[in-house]
Parts: sequence; C-alpha cells; structure tokens
Amino acid sequence: MSTTSTEEEQTAKASGDTLLEVNDLKTYYEDGGLLGSNPVKAVDGVSFDIQRGETLGLVGESGCGKSTLGRTLMRLEEATAGEVKLNGTDITTLSGSDLKQFRKDVQMVFQDPDSSLNERMTVGEIVREPLDVHDWKTPSERRERVRELLETVGLQEQHYYRYPHQFSGGQRQRIGIARALALEPEFIILDEPVSALDVSVQAKILNLLEDLQNEFGLTYLFIAHDLAVVRHICDRVAVMYLGNMMEIGPADEMFDQPANPYTHALLSSIPEPDPTIERDRITLRGTPPSPRDPPAGCPFSTRCPVKIRPAAYRDMDPELWERIEVFREVLRERSRADPSLSDRVRKLLGRESHRAGMDEIIPELFGELDVPSDVMTHIREAADYAENDDEDAARSYLREEFGSVCDHERPDQLSVGNRGRLSLCHRHEAEYEEPATVFETLVQ
Amino acid sequence: MSTTTETEIPLRQRVAENPQPALIWAAVGAVLIGVELGAILQVVGAVAGVVVNLLPGDPGASAVQSLQAAFDAIPTLVSRDVIPNQGYWNGTGYENTFLGLSPAVAWAIRVAFVYAYAFAVLAWAWNGYKRFRRHYRRVDWTPRDDVVNRFRGHSWGKFGLIIVITFVVMAVFAPALGPTTMERNILQPYDYEVSYWSEDTQSVETVLVGEANLGSGSQGAGDENVAPMTYDDFGRFHPFGTATNGKDLFTQVVFGARISLTIAVVAMGIAGLIGLGLAMITAYYKGLADLATVLVSDSIQALPVIMVLILMLVIFQNTWVRELYDGAVLIILIFSIVYWPFIWRSIRGPALQVSEQDWIDAAKSFGQTPTQVMRKHMAPYVFSYMLIYASLSLGGIIISVAGLSYLGLGITAPTPEWGRLIANGQQYVASPSWHISLVPGLLITLVVTGLNAFGDGIRDAIDPQADTGDEAAATGGGA
Ligand code: SF4
Repeated sequence: MSTTSTEEEQTAKASGDTLLEVNDLKTYYEDGGLLGSNPVKAVDGVSFDIQRGETLGLVGESGCGKSTLGRTLMRLEEATAGEVKLNGTDITTLSGSDLKQFRKDVQMVFQDPDSSLNERMTVGEIVREPLDVHDWKTPSERRERVRELLETVGLQEQHYYRYPHQFSGGQRQRIGIARALALEPEFIILDEPVSALDVSVQAKILNLLEDLQNEFGLTYLFIAHDLAVVRHICDRVAVMYLGNMMEIGPADEMFDQPANPYTHALLSSIPEPDPTIERDRITLRGTPPSPRDPPAGCPFSTRCPVKIRPAAYRDMDPELWERIEVFREVLRERSRADPSLSDRVRKLLGRESHRAGMDEIIPELFGELDVPSDVMTHIREAADYAENDDEDAARSYLREEFGSVCDHERPDQLSVGNRGRLSLCHRHEAEYEEPATVFETLVQ
Repeated sequence: MSTTTETEIPLRQRVAENPQPALIWAAVGAVLIGVELGAILQVVGAVAGVVVNLLPGDPGASAVQSLQAAFDAIPTLVSRDVIPNQGYWNGTGYENTFLGLSPAVAWAIRVAFVYAYAFAVLAWAWNGYKRFRRHYRRVDWTPRDDVVNRFRGHSWGKFGLIIVITFVVMAVFAPALGPTTMERNILQPYDYEVSYWSEDTQSVETVLVGEANLGSGSQGAGDENVAPMTYDDFGRFHPFGTATNGKDLFTQVVFGARISLTIAVVAMGIAGLIGLGLAMITAYYKGLADLATVLVSDSIQALPVIMVLILMLVIFQNTWVRELYDGAVLIILIFSIVYWPFIWRSIRGPALQVSEQDWIDAAKSFGQTPTQVMRKHMAPYVFSYMLIYASLSLGGIIISVAGLSYLGLGITAPTPEWGRLIANGQQYVASPSWHISLVPGLLITLVVTGLNAFGDGIRDAIDPQADTGDEAAATGGGA
C-alpha cells in the first residue's frame, strides 16, 4: 500500500496531461542571524503534480509553507533540493533565456491588491510592463492588447490612464489578473487572491477566474486558507502542514471524507453553514512546532488527536495519555525558548534556574489523576532531566518510552480510496485502525 | 473601438487639436527667454570655460574665449547696461546713470527688475505645468498631484521655498545685482578708474578704484566706516556698506552666494546619487551588500566631518587639486564622500520598505531586470525622501563651507565667501562697522532656515501622516 501514485494517475501521466510535476521539493531558509542555527524548513520534501487545465487548491494554516511553495514554483525563492518539472523541464536550474521563457509561461496573482500594484504607474503601464519586458510585438500592439485585457477582466479601456489609487480592492485585483494574463501563460499561481477582499466581491473575482480558466485553458494553483473558497473552485486539494503535504486528492471526496487526521481537524474548524447540524469540533491542542526543528517522525505527531500509541500503553486512560502528550509539548516549548540572559547567568553561577519549575508542573498535570507507578517513574525521570536544564534529554527519554511509530518514522504518502487520494499517515497501513474510525470513537 | 484611438494620441497631436493654451504659453516663454538669450549663452560659455580650465593643458581655450566674447556682446534685458548705476555727480546732476537717477535708486530699480524677471519666469513655468495638467495631460489625476496640492497648502514650506528661490536668484544673477562688478571692484581694482565729484575742487575728478577702496574701508572708527545704504567719499553707493578693505560688501555677498550654492548643490548631488544608488542596491540584494555598505558608511560617519575637511584641505594645501575653481572642487569632493553615508542612512529604511512590496515580486515574476526594478519600482518612492534629507543637509554644507573659510581654509581669496567676510569683520562687531560680519551671518541663518522649512514642507507633502517630530531628520543637516 505504500505506492506513491495510483494507477489512474499513472495513466494520466502517460497520456502527457501533466503540466507540473514536483518531486521531493525542499526550500530551506538559512536566515535568522546566528550562523550555524538550524535552517527554517519551510517546504520539507513535497511531491505532487498538476494536470493541465485543472485547479489544485493548496490549503493550510498560515506558516505551513504554502506561500513559500508557491514562490518556489515561481522561482521567487530558490529550491534547496528536489525538482519542479514544467512540461517535463526542470525549472529549478533554469537561467538566462530559458529562465526568461519560463517567466512568460508562469504568472502569479498576489494576495494584497494594495501592495501588488505600483501606485506610481498608470493601470495601462502596469498591465503593459510584462509585454515590454518580453518585447512583445510593437508598442501600439501592446497598447491594444492591454485594452483588450482590461475588457477581459471586466474593466473599461478608459481605465488605461488611471492610477491604482482610483480603484476599489476588487478592481485592483482585476488589474493584477490582467497583468498575469498579459503574456498568455499556461499556469497561474493564485496566492490567496480573494482573502483581502470583501465577501461580496470575492465571489465575483472567483467567477472571473473560473471564466478565464475556461476561456484560455489555464491551469491554476490556488493557495488559500479559506476552505470554503477552495471547495467552490478547486478540482483537487492539497493540505499542507509544517512544510509537508499531508493529504492530496479530489476536492469533493476530501471534504466529505477526510482521510488524514490533520485534514479532519482542519475541516472541523470550518463553521458549519447550517447551524442545526451538530458537528463535533476537534480542537487542536498547542501550536505547530517550529519549522526549524520539526518532529522526527510524522510532522503532525505533536498535536495529532489520533496518534498511534505504543502497544504497551494502548489501553491507558485517554485522559492520562493526553496529559503525557501535554507534558511532552511543555518540554518541547521550553527547549525552543532561548534561555534568557539572567537564566544563563544563574546557570553560570550554579544557581537554580527560573525555568526549572518541574515541581509545579508535575502536580499541575498529573495531580488529580490516578497514575500507575511505572508511568510515574518515567515521568519523574524525565522531570529530573528537565530540572537540570536538559530538556533534550528529557524529551528523548519520553520519546523512547511513550513514543510510537508516529514519533519515530516519517510516514509515506499512502493511497486512500481509488481516485488518486494520497495521505501522509501511518494509520492507513493495514495494521492500524483508519483515522476516521478512531475519530468516531473519540467524539462519542 | 472608436474610443481606443482617443487615448493613444501622442502629445504633439493633442496640442495640435487644442493649440490655444499651448501657443499663449509658448509666446510668453519666447519673450521671457528671448530677452535673456545672451545671458543663457554666456552661462554656457562660462561653463565651457570652467570645463576647459579643468582639463589638463587647457585644450581649445582660445576658441572658448572667442565664443565667450561673442556671447558677451549679445545684449540682454536684465543687465547692468540697461539700468546702469555707476555714474557720478557732475555738480548739477548725475551722469551715466539710468535716467539720471541717483546711483542708489538706479541700483534699487535694477534689483527689483531682476527679481521681477526671475519670478516672472517661475510663474510662467508653473503656469505651463497647470496648463498641461488642465488641457493636455491624459490622466486626470496622479499621486503626485496630491503632493503638489499639499505643498501648496503648507505655508512654512512655501516660506522656505521663497527664501530658497531668493537665494538661488541671488546666485544666478550675481553679476547683475551688484552695484559694481567683481572684476572692477574686487579682482582688478587698479585697472579701473572711477569718476567722482570732489567737494574740495568742486569738479569731477578721477581716481583708481583700488585707491578709492583704500579710502573707503570700514574699520570701526566713525570716519573710517561706510555703513549699509550709504555713499562713500567717491560717490559710490554701497547697499551693504564696505568691507574692511573698502571693497563693496554687497557684491561680495552675491558672489559668495554663488560659490556656496555651487558647492552645496554639486556636493549634495553627487552624495545623493551615491546614496540613492547604494540604497537601491542594498535594499534589492540585502544581505552582504547591505552589511558591506553599513560597515563603510559607519566608518565614514564615525569620522568628525569638520576635522576631516580641515585635514584634507591642509594636506592638499599646495597641490593642483586645491587650485581648481578656487578650492571648490576639492571641497565638493570631500563633502560628497563625507555626506553620502548620511543620505544612504536616511533613505535606507524607506528603500527597504518599498523593496518588501509585492509589486517588486510581481516585477521579478515576469522577468523584469534588477536595474529596471530598482529604477521603476523602487527609486520613485525613495527619491522624495532623499529630497527631504538633501534640502536639510544643504544648509549643513553651506554652514560648513562658511566655517572652513572662516578658519581661512575654504575658498581661496580673493574669491568672496561668506565665512571669510564674517571672519574679516569679526573684530569690528561692536563698532560702527558691525555690518561686515552681521550681514553675511544673518544671510546664512536665513538661508539655512529656508532650506529647513522647504525640507519640512516636502516631507509633510509626501507623507501627511508622518510624525512631524522627526528629530533625526531635523538635525541631519547640522553636521
Ligand atoms: S502518522 Fe500518526 S501522528 Fe501522524 S497523522 Fe497519522 S496518526 Fe497522527
């Protein structure tokens, strides 16, 4: 079951319909000042492809790496590893005239229409600039083309000599779309194109984008954090978390029956349009881990509500199990926070550090629970490490004792269903229960 | 698509379709410029002369000289010849003055005329802009219109602008403004004669200008003083009185304005270009480029400006560099090198801010080249900030140049310089000859205030929300 693509997809590829193919793409940032610190793993090994003419939605919380992925595909960010094939050519290594040709084929529509248009240029100049850069035909043909484009996106040609300031947000986004269309690209990356707009305007822009797709046979990558919007416009959806693609598959199927635990959680956060339908909310505990220091196993393992438990603890009281996970989260947070200067001074002087509040944390977490003595021993052991400011040792101790396959092994993208759905979770392996089944027991 | 052609008409055709406003404007312009054509050509000749002077071996010097002579012969309206004031009393009336008026009145008329002309030209240019806006511009509105309108409503800024214009006109029209000429009164006084009415002999007598100067110095004592707005013993009118050596103070002040302004504007221009160019590069590439520039500019800024100036001027004391344009070229170079880090520092923030805008990414995404991104998408946003700091720093340079000359280091004598005038009259400040130091001192204060007001005006016009208590900007010019 650990194949990374279904037969259906393979036939699609064979028929040459794949426009974009991304293989194990990584984008790391080395910034952050201090030399030798861990890089930010914004995109950490992502693979997917986009068929010609389809719309792939890319969703996830802010900071999950979806924007960086979009920018890497645009070559606005350099890939650290992996390949991005557009029509079979790896674009991560292009330069010179090949790069310039690529810049013609792929365009982007930006999120913030205030910031994406240069306010000192007229609308005509803005839309014309790509044509000028690529020496498209003659100057008068360019002007003619700009006027056509303005009409195509629902503006008027007399807007040519106006400035962006004189337009509303929705109109400005239309200008940005006209600019993206100017060079007749095949592929357009839409980076949250409606999230800065009024709800009433959003639908109009989305309709425009759909019309344009039909008219010009465009392929879209639609980056969004609003799942409702994605459901409306996308053929397939990819869900990102902490630089990883957790799940990818047909939109309808994914919304009706999420496979991956993270998708479950994400979907349950959308308010149900019909308030009479009771839906069980899954609230995620904690915050995503730092992309500088992602978990060794499954990226979602620190917060997953249906995480696989090691065999020894499978029957443990769920409440207690939850507390142990919280304890691990606390230690992770503490190792992440840089010790303050005064903490360091205390440490140098051999005094007790402020951070060592284990004798408060342990009773707080486990006080009112009935903790088996062997479990308590492990907890005390870890607390001792932490007391000595060695959170890393405490963490690895707990990982050894309470960790499961979710903590140790990075799951593969496993196939779910028969429509080419892939999900990054160990629970799709035969030996474990499916996430959906476990969720059901959870919410009961 | 009948309307499409309407927006595509080139400017020439738009003018042709509605020629009246443009024609009226052009006709007025032709008259205004025509009467001063000779002067404009003389400036061209003078610039050519300076260039030739700077080149080793002075190639084509004679050609330039004959050209200058030809240009000088063209009569101009705003000139000494049209309204002469250097006449004398022949016992019954004035000779050789404008309409036989007294030299003081003739001079005053000429000054008024020069300023009237200068403001007429400016009004004409402004009117041209307004006509363009109303009749010919394709866009109804640009973001810059708002800036212009806000500046027009800014009284303090307009006050500054008027001071600045007055100062610039003083520098530009220096030869026409003085009651006498540089050549005659200051540079070669022993080559010229002056006629005057002698009370003793009751007749018109003649004396060398140099000798007359000796007899009309201002040195504190009652009979050795020619105060502002008075005549000396030789019937010469001195609007600002005379200096200690009897030379006309007003003439020196107007020519001093010329050299101060040249140094300040050229040095600031060079420093501004370096600062703007580096700001573009550091904001676009960030990282190492930025770090390297921070290091260099910090090193330069750590130097005490005045000390460096003094050291450099002393080091180059007897070299050819020091001789160029009376020492101004060396001063300009030093100021450019010392001032660009201030400019770069001041506009680094705005440059970084604009480099974060999505339109930069958009331009990169369709393949715009880095230089074009900097020029089209970044520089216009930073330029106005640079203008603010440049106008504030101009005052600082003017003060510094005066300071150097005060110390005897700046512009070499006999070229007049305000700082040297102040030093010259310093010992007479508490005597009847107070005017020698006070007049140039007051003028420096006024000009620097004007430049600061102008800078404030631009700042408020660009960015109405900006915090007006920006101390860093206000003190930027005081170096
Ligand atoms: S692999 Fe484990 S932690 Fe990750 S999503 Fe699946 S169940 Fe949760």
